[in-house]
Amino acid sequence: MASNATTYKNLTPAADLDQATLNKMAWRSCFLQGSFNYERMQAAGWLYSILPGLEKIHTDKDDLATSMTHNMEFFNIHPFLVTFAMGICLSLEQKKADIPTIRAVRVSLMGPLGGIGDALFWMTLVPILAGITSQMAIAGNPAGPIIFLVVFNVIQFAIRFGLMNWSYKMGTQAIDSLMGSMQAFTRAASILGVFVVGCLTVNMGGTQIALTLPNGTTESYVAHTCVVDTDDVADFEIIATNDEGTTTSGMVDAEGNALSGTDASGAAVEAGAVDLGNGKSEVTYMELVTTPVTVDFASILDSICPKLIPLALVMLLYYLFAKHNFTPMKGIVLMLVLGIVGGFFGIWA
Amino acid sequence: MEYSVIQVALVFIVTFVAAIDQFSFLESLYQPIVTGMVIGLILGDVQTGLIVGGTYQLMTIGNMPIGGAQPPNAVVGGIMAATLAISLDLDPNAAVAMAIPFSLLGQYGVTLIFTIMSPLMSKCDQYAADANPKGIEHINYLAMALLGLIFGVVVTLFFIGGATMGQAVVDAIPAWLSGGLSAAGGMMRFVGFAILLKFMMSRDMWGFYFMGFGLALVVSNITALATPALLILAFIGFGIAFWDFQQQTELKGAVAIEDGGEEDGI
Repeated sequence: MASNATTYKNLTPAADLDQATLNKMAWRSCFLQGSFNYERMQAAGWLYSILPGLEKIHTDKDDLATSMTHNMEFFNIHPFLVTFAMGICLSLEQKKADIPTIRAVRVSLMGPLGGIGDALFWMTLVPILAGITSQMAIAGNPAGPIIFLVVFNVIQFAIRFGLMNWSYKMGTQAIDSLMGSMQAFTRAASILGVFVVGCLTVNMGGTQIALTLPNGTTESYVAHTCVVDTDDVADFEIIATNDEGTTTSGMVDAEGNALSGTDASGAAVEAGAVDLGNGKSEVTYMELVTTPVTVDFASILDSICPKLIPLALVMLLYYLFAKHNFTPMKGIVLMLVLGIVGGFFGIWA
Repeated sequence: MEYSVIQVALVFIVTFVAAIDQFSFLESLYQPIVTGMVIGLILGDVQTGLIVGGTYQLMTIGNMPIGGAQPPNAVVGGIMAATLAISLDLDPNAAVAMAIPFSLLGQYGVTLIFTIMSPLMSKCDQYAADANPKGIEHINYLAMALLGLIFGVVVTLFFIGGATMGQAVVDAIPAWLSGGLSAAGGMMRFVGFAILLKFMMSRDMWGFYFMGFGLALVVSNITALATPALLILAFIGFGIAFWDFQQQTELKGAVAIEDGGEEDGI
């Protein structure tokens, strides 16, 4: 019965809603999603939020039932911008507009506000704010979470209460005034968002490769010291040579010059013999040692461009999300697999 | 590590509030950066709580309920990451990676709750037809309490189980696996970044991404600017975005003011 009505019984416009009622509704709008479900989404929360206004507007009980019934229809809007729709719909209810008109306005607000709210909150405010405050938190600074909460909620409530009052007063005109520059606004917010994600890739991307590549070998002399009979010192001049005639073990090279190298602690020493005066000599001779040379992969990458690994991973994930319809969960699982498999082979720094 | 009844009760309360807050109320108390610190306070290790919360937060930056999508649950994930890191003395990145399965369970839990709430709507229709505002209010309060209760019970059970049984699991994990988990935890944030890009990116915006990347490389290599780097970069980004907004609106204004529906997107 009541649900089929297209006009209210009492068509006399109601008195303007007072500030206290508007504030109460703005506060209640925080609980828009309290009874969220897949059938009507925010419908019951929407009705809960505007009830204080509806009760003031519709003094006739049948009209209140009619209004509550059509406001229980499917509803889904951005939770932070809902007061904008509330103000407009309440101004229509107050003027006792036709129910199909109110319904059309309410439905038409669902789409555009969702996009603008996402652009404003989840893509611009949260990445910047959470990016900065997470950095503080990771550094162990308790001000991080506190600043996050304060800034987020000051903005949230300024928008909730501001839009509630503004849109109620502007009535249906408010839709036009916002629609006019909405696309440009969403674009600008996206530019800032994209820019910030580029910054975050650098500031928050710590993934680096610890891989080293073999790059041939290098030969160097390592010093050995021993005490021998002074008569035997000559034997240590050249102990062994390789095919090219280079001394691989001994005190002098093919031309008779003393060899130099490093001792076990890495200090530079020169080969030679010291007569200890008791028929013994302390001999320092060199041994040619071949050591493999490795190239640090990370430093090569950094010389091309720092943070290449984070950039590559973001690009890869973007490609999978945008072109292959990967879900976020698949992306997370991919990173998990990449991390663990890489960990097994020891490639992550 | 054993925890007192009071600590277990506090974890329950925090989860109860955070579960409701993820959809209603302040919609910011539930963020891992906040729950990480609070769990740290309860379990007596604020430092670890902060680090884990910040790390998890970075991963979820893009995993927000954009377009009404249900991301892996940040309430369960954030709280579990913090409790795992503190009670089992895990590396923060590894704790974040280990909390992923829990966040997935939370996501399924939310889907389940949203489904079982649907039949309540016919009850609401009845209250509406009877012009009974109190009934509508009670349904909303009931739904929120139910959500908080389910989350609270499940996370508290995980917490008790995790704190007592988890140690054995952690001891059995080889070094390469914990290293890999740690690396994976550090990479999770790229998922968040990429999702943000997917939602915001259009062909003509790639330049802004690389501009941000390049400028951040420059700024972050100046030691004196390391801490305020992101704020400075945000100023620059704001300037670019604002300039673009002016360009777009002035161009449009010159053509038609009333004709709001026409967009050429150039």
